[in-house]
Amino acid sequence: MRVTLQVKPRKKPFLPIEAETIVPAHFLDGTDLVVWKGNRELPLSDVFSVTVEGTAETADEVEITMRGDTSRIKRVGEYMEAGRIVIEDDIGMHCGNFMSGGTIEIGGNADGWLAREMRGGSIICRGNAGNYCASGYRGEKRGMTGGTVEVFGNVGDFAAETLAGGCVVIHGSAGDMAGTEMRGGTLRIEGDCTRVCGNMTAGTCYVFGTVHDMLPTFRRRGTAVHDGVTLTAFTGDIANRGKGNLFVRDYKYMD
Amino acid sequence: MNEILIKNACVIDPISGINGEIMDIAVSDGRIVEEVGSGAEVIDAEGFLTLPGGIDSHTHICGTKVNFGRYMSPEDMRAGRTPRRGRMHSTSGYSVPTTYGNSYRYSGMGYTALLEGAMAPLEARHTHEEFAYTPLQDTMANVLFDGNWAIMEAVREKDTKRAAAIVGWTLAAVKGFGVKLTNPGGTEAWGWGKNVSSITDVVPYFEVTPGEIIDTMIRATEMLALPHSVHIHCNNLGLPGNYRTTLDTFDLVPDLNRKRQTLYATHVQFHAYGGTSWSDFCSKAEEITRSVNEKPQIVIDMGQVMFGKTTTMTADGPMEFNLYRLHHNKWSNHDVELETGSGIIPVLYRRKNLVNSIMWAIGLELALLTKNPWQCLLTTDNPNGAPFVRYPEIIGLLMSRKYREAEFATIHPDTEHRVSLPSIERELDWQEIAVMTRAGQARALGIVDIGKGRLAPGAEADIAIYPLKIGEVDPGREYERVIEGFRQTEYTIKRGRIVSRRGECLVWGNNTTIWVKPKISERYDMAQDPAFVEKFDRYYTVRMRNYPVQEEYLKRNLCIETETEL
Repeated sequence: MRVTLQVKPRKKPFLPIEAETIVPAHFLDGTDLVVWKGNRELPLSDVFSVTVEGTAETADEVEITMRGDTSRIKRVGEYMEAGRIVIEDDIGMHCGNFMSGGTIEIGGNADGWLAREMRGGSIICRGNAGNYCASGYRGEKRGMTGGTVEVFGNVGDFAAETLAGGCVVIHGSAGDMAGTEMRGGTLRIEGDCTRVCGNMTAGTCYVFGTVHDMLPTFRRRGTAVHDGVTLTAFTGDIANRGKGNLFVRDYKYMD
Repeated sequence: MNEILIKNACVIDPISGINGEIMDIAVSDGRIVEEVGSGAEVIDAEGFLTLPGGIDSHTHICGTKVNFGRYMSPEDMRAGRTPRRGRMHSTSGYSVPTTYGNSYRYSGMGYTALLEGAMAPLEARHTHEEFAYTPLQDTMANVLFDGNWAIMEAVREKDTKRAAAIVGWTLAAVKGFGVKLTNPGGTEAWGWGKNVSSITDVVPYFEVTPGEIIDTMIRATEMLALPHSVHIHCNNLGLPGNYRTTLDTFDLVPDLNRKRQTLYATHVQFHAYGGTSWSDFCSKAEEITRSVNEKPQIVIDMGQVMFGKTTTMTADGPMEFNLYRLHHNKWSNHDVELETGSGIIPVLYRRKNLVNSIMWAIGLELALLTKNPWQCLLTTDNPNGAPFVRYPEIIGLLMSRKYREAEFATIHPDTEHRVSLPSIERELDWQEIAVMTRAGQARALGIVDIGKGRLAPGAEADIAIYPLKIGEVDPGREYERVIEGFRQTEYTIKRGRIVSRRGECLVWGNNTTIWVKPKISERYDMAQDPAFVEKFDRYYTVRMRNYPVQEEYLKRNLCIETETEL
């Protein structure tokens, strides 16, 4: 089944729409869904032109395509377990919260909190992602626990914070404090980043660019070759009795 | 004029000496009166247990550290959520709920007045802002003076009058209610990475001892004729063997007030531990209650622990750091300039843990071994021992030996060698429970005179009607009915209006914040004291003129002005 959601022209396109109902499994029972604008409940069809082609027995067979200005549509794919969501342009905050299966593909940029507390499945973002990409929620000890997130552009600050499992790949650069409080899983940053992996206790992080303001609480233990590149291997964060692995191609301590 | 006539109420009002009498209660204009006109709304109480509105004399519901508890515990916010319904806002949270969550749940249980146990004076605005959104209860805030530099300097100079003047100025400035000492001296020492381990240890850089701080503050409080006594969280909270510190503290206390106690010791469960380490940890509730039974000048509250998840929060920074080292979970630590500090960590009290099982037993022992229920009040130090929604279960445990035995069978088997709980036969009666949940609190807080904790004509019409017929329930055997009954009122009436009906809150309550302003002569006005002003401007990050909480932070409020010796 192919569901197409085309955003209708909106008078105030800046107002966010909370659309946690946009999950493949929900469309098995029709398109009679609701979304929220502020404290007002709206039928899905007030915000989107909805077209459905074909039928599906299980959520796996559902593919949702979102078109138009979706940059302020929030919580798409929250708690998604199966199926596929393709977003042609930008997507709003909290896309793929708590997702445990299926695939989300984003053609444009993702706003903050992409794949927050993700448990499984995969998310591909072809543009940039905002702050807290693949992280936990503020105050939560364990963030993402499974699945894969791949971002082809850059990400904002606090990427993969409290990462506890799964794999996060960032082809561009990360902002400040990526991998902070990591306790498992794998974080791979192809570009540069600053103050990476503070307070990490376990897990593995690779940085193929330069780490600026490298934390002094990581112990250097030699070099390792990964994907044909020679990296400096560190263990830490020793300030937290951590045993995480941090591999970096280049690093600079704070002056 | 809003009038209500409650018919066929089975009233227990310990302060007025009414014990289980079936009677009518007339309410007019927010007060209890002799009679009302024929136009009054009639409520048939059907013989249900009718008590003065519940009062919590030590709870943490509003202010900076409560809010940080919310902030650092998204899992707690996810643990209990209710949508908006009727006049009720949406709520979330379990151990540290939103202000509405606190207010609605307390109201559903019949509580109409709450005392926030610890407010840092510098951060008082936050507490008052949250009070404004705790609409269904009257609120009061105890003000932290445990590490106040100016107070400690006055203590060192042995100048009780100066200490009293500082307390008076601060209370009026921050719109506080009473004096709270949390680990006196210890929180300041923690600022230097240290602590104090007895009431005779010296606080670094100030050369005063906790004992001197406590003694001076007790005398200062009486000098200011404050409604409530000094409210103390003793030193060494949560450490094996700390009962000696608690007993030493109790031994310091003179009997200076005829109307109420001279010292209110809070969450004493956490201060009644024997042993030298966690391996020989045991209960010393017998020693503590023996001391309390001999000293009418002391009132304690239980600080009962109940098994399950909660959040601990206190101004006792070093204690929370010790807890953090045990649990290695999340931890927050905070310093409040010249005044105090705080710490927060989430905890899980487990039945299968020996220490937790002993803690659970100690709280109950304190309540059962204190002969006079006016001297041991029911609290959990919400949310430190357990969230307040567990109060009905505690009432059940106190009223039923059978329930205690059933629970005892599920906890760590070695507990019986460390506590005396299994040998205690006492089962509290309805009257004693009424004392421990409202009348005792009203007297201990000194708010009987403003109409709290009683149902006689002239009192505030704060009334809780529970779906319990005390003649038909045997609490010893049918403890489950008791718990169910106390969990939700039929009616909670606050200031003469029905605010909660079977858990459904019906009005925007608009609470009253009760605060205290001691009348102090110009000679002792700290705002005009050059040394005080100079130190204030030198060390605080705020200007002195910006420090007092403006009147607009208080919505409805009641100022108790006291006649002082200054």
